[in-house]
Amino acid sequence: MFGNILFLVSALFSVLGAVGVVATKNIMHACVYLLMSLIGVAGLYLTLGADFVAATQLVVYVGGVVILMVFAVMLTGGADSQKSNRFGIKKTPMMGSIGTYIAGGISAILASYIVIFRLLPKVFEAQPVNSTMAFDKTVEKIGMLLVSDHVLAFEISSVLLLGALVGAAVIARPKRN
Amino acid sequence: MITLSSYLVISTILFLAGIVVMIARKNIVAILLGIELILNASALNFVAYTKFVNQNLDGHIFPLFIIIVAAAEAAVGLAIVIRFYQIRESIHIDDATQLQS
Repeated sequence: MFGNILFLVSALFSVLGAVGVVATKNIMHACVYLLMSLIGVAGLYLTLGADFVAATQLVVYVGGVVILMVFAVMLTGGADSQKSNRFGIKKTPMMGSIGTYIAGGISAILASYIVIFRLLPKVFEAQPVNSTMAFDKTVEKIGMLLVSDHVLAFEISSVLLLGALVGAAVIARPKRN
Repeated sequence: MITLSSYLVISTILFLAGIVVMIARKNIVAILLGIELILNASALNFVAYTKFVNQNLDGHIFPLFIIIVAAAEAAVGLAIVIRFYQIRESIHIDDATQLQS
């Protein structure tokens, strides 16, 4: 019961946040909607029993990446200077003719029909009935897996982070005259 | 009842929102937000399939590496955005037409 309520709230958060990122005009509001969506996804991880992934999602994404995005928005002129270009539709002319849109609509209907009525039932048939895994701690097993099976990817990711750090510092340094 | 399909539907919605943001927005920072949404959708798929299909923890390792790569990508991408703003005084994507300043 509690799991169902948590699932519903998290799903609502993530979906509404994603729709808000698409629909809002202000880029700062888009950042806050992305924050909401990421928190919702962390709640979905909790309903799936992935506690360590949820904690990492909260710490790294919500605490790091979104703050970085907000810094970038503020360093590039703030939210006021970017309010008017939501989709840029006013600047570009309309592409194609009426026939283009009719063909696009028909192909979209066909593709959604194939996906919904042909592909999705096969996906849903494939799931096993017994899907309740006991909610035990995953941190210990994930730590063991990280240093045994996936140790190469672990080390490579440390090199990747070092490269990203140095690269970001080199790219963003002020211009030398 | 919560099944695999509910997670897949949510992941599809996140993915489609990210694709729409990446295609339709003209702001470079907004495009980076769309990339974050897409990466989240894929990580959610990994964890959902781990619970409902094979139940080993390899599907929990992949979201960790996705988060690592997303953090590195956000750092470098935002550095590029800030550098671009210093050069062009704009972060409109249509202004990015040349590789060298």
